Amino acid sequence: MQSLGIDVLFKGTNMLRLLKGLWVSVEISLISVAISIVLGLIIGVLMTSKARLIRLILRIYLEIVRIMPQMVLLFIVYFGTTRVFGINISAELSAIIVFVFWGTAEMGDLVRGSIKSIPRIQYDSAYALGMNKFQVHFYIIFPQTIRRLLPLSINLVTRMIKTTSLVMMIGIVEVLKVSQQIIEANRKSSPNAAFGVFAVVFLLYFIVCWPVSRLANKLEKRWA
Amino acid sequence: MDIEIIRSYIPLYNDALLLTFKIGLLGILTAFAIGLSGAAALYFKVPVVKKVLTVYIELFRNTPLLVQLFFIYFALPKLGIRISAEACGTLGLSLIGGAYMIETLRSGLESIDKIQSESALSLGMTKSQVFGSIILPQGISRSVPGIMANVIFMLKETSVFSTISLMDLMFTAKDLIGMYAKTIECLFLLVVYYLIMLLPVSLLGSVVERRVRYAEFGD
Amino acid sequence: MKKNLLTIALSTVLGAAALTGCGSTNTASIDEAEVAKAASPGSSVVYRTVDEIKESGTINIGVFSDKSPFGYVDENGNYAGYDVYFAERIGADLGVKINYVSTEAANRIEYLQTGKVDIILANFTVTEERAQEIDFALPYMNVALGVVSPSDAVLTSLEDVQAQDQIIVISGTTAETYLEKNYPDIKLQKYDAYAEAKTAFENGNAIAWANDNTEVIAFAIENEGFTVGIPSLGDADTIAPAVTKGNESLLNWLNDEIVAIGEENFFHADYEATLLDTYGADYENTLVVEGGKVQ
Repeated sequence: MQSLGIDVLFKGTNMLRLLKGLWVSVEISLISVAISIVLGLIIGVLMTSKARLIRLILRIYLEIVRIMPQMVLLFIVYFGTTRVFGINISAELSAIIVFVFWGTAEMGDLVRGSIKSIPRIQYDSAYALGMNKFQVHFYIIFPQTIRRLLPLSINLVTRMIKTTSLVMMIGIVEVLKVSQQIIEANRKSSPNAAFGVFAVVFLLYFIVCWPVSRLANKLEKRWA
Repeated sequence: MDIEIIRSYIPLYNDALLLTFKIGLLGILTAFAIGLSGAAALYFKVPVVKKVLTVYIELFRNTPLLVQLFFIYFALPKLGIRISAEACGTLGLSLIGGAYMIETLRSGLESIDKIQSESALSLGMTKSQVFGSIILPQGISRSVPGIMANVIFMLKETSVFSTISLMDLMFTAKDLIGMYAKTIECLFLLVVYYLIMLLPVSLLGSVVERRVRYAEFGD
Repeated sequence: MKKNLLTIALSTVLGAAALTGCGSTNTASIDEAEVAKAASPGSSVVYRTVDEIKESGTINIGVFSDKSPFGYVDENGNYAGYDVYFAERIGADLGVKINYVSTEAANRIEYLQTGKVDIILANFTVTEERAQEIDFALPYMNVALGVVSPSDAVLTSLEDVQAQDQIIVISGTTAETYLEKNYPDIKLQKYDAYAEAKTAFENGNAIAWANDNTEVIAFAIENEGFTVGIPSLGDADTIAPAVTKGNESLLNWLNDEIVAIGEENFFHADYEATLLDTYGADYENTLVVEGGKVQ
């Protein structure tokens, strides 16, 4: 044990701090996914809009999200916005903004895909019954898309949790930053702490993400 | 924004782009090789290998690349296993990419109708002939959208290389900001360079996707 | 069946809304003093005056969280070190709570310029380039550069560095700028964070590590098998607190504070509380700057 450096985690409140750091990541992801689902539904419907301009703008938006690494977006939002607009946003808020920006695009595209997959006849029948546009979407289209979306959005949660490891770079003290601090504070007494701590962090991420992605898989199979 | 500053930074960004591309390309090729052999092993249900692959896939798909790199680069040397930063970056990228590629190709292979291999077998083709000339080509062509998505994902993931001292685009920008505080110029170049690197890949992706779809029949 | 689906749809949306709602209260708990960051919207002034800080009840101070013994987090999660000892005093004398913000070397100027912290107390070396971007208060420590290497292959002169050798530096430090400028041929291996640089150096990824000499001396003392082959390099510099450019109010307050607590030999006490264990008594007078006056 000593030689592998796992013992440092049992000193003081180290393990608790590590878990708290992990919770920071999970929290940011959950908040972001929740907002992304709501906004994604709206964006997704807009993506099926007949107006070319709207479709073009959303297409560019989607392409930006696809191309830009989340880390670049984090830096731009965290440091860039103050520079350009003079607005100061905290690191946590920046992270949520970036994740929502990303999640909304992904959700929107999924929503678009599933709306498109619904046969034309359903719209026609609903309109024929005298429902208005809002009613058609809200009562007919959404309920059907949600089934397809739920597993995918659960998947998005794990992807976001994994991506939150980047927020360390904008100063949020999450699990990786805590592990660096622990390694640093114990460098003298346990020189191998880097092994034990990083191994535990690796496992922690796995323990959090694995069941969630299993769940998404199961739902996907069942509802497909 | 100061054009002079931007001009003086360009060579550094070029170096970074080259490094990112080099590691990215090597990683993508290795990942694709891992993906192909892994998916084939899963398709043929090779005992033991199947179990090992499943563990590998789950482990690498459910942890962030950053953490994997930290483990390979900072933790493994404590056990006496030491590799250079560049090798570590390539290895990490190949491993995470490989796990994704196996999954993509596997579902591509599985999507080919059973009746095709049954008919081919009844025509007297051997199992490996069936796989090599019937299942695999179609499986790969069905996986193209997924493969392209993986490629873009992998190239984007290179942005975490900074933590293991690799001078990629992200680190170059951060480093210059740290030294000279020309934030706007640095971030501007960062965005431009990622566009240069990924926009062609993304566009190519949609073109290839259409082409390959065209080659399919039925469905 | 239809009704069932509708329930699912509704509950998802409502659930999402609820999550968002409870989420935002939770974010506040991530960082209590975030509220304090009330940069006046609309104006281009990002910094806060002493009065504004006092009014908000919290000061944001940027420190290192992985640079022992100057700024680090102990095993109970509390910030500690030479810089932090001073920060605590600032908080006490202003009568406000302190919100520590963990910074990396390369982010320090950025944090001040974007008003994300009020003061940087992260072992910040005074240089002319930096002084163009931010304002330094009076110094509280002496510093130069130093190079540490493994004891079995001590590097005593930078002229001995071979073409294939690499030297570790931390991105955004004076060591990096110095080597880039004066030894452009030496290959540098750069890291974001102290913890990473040190672990990589321990693991044998480079022939030497160049940084503030205080830091490399501490490393050689605390870790067996390492020797400081080049104890002093470049100019003798000082370390000082920094504020956002133009924040006269906080700058003047800090200068007065440093002079005032110099009367009671505050920084000697700081040294004895935080650095004595590492450096012993020998370095006390060479390192400490009291009352802002460099001897």
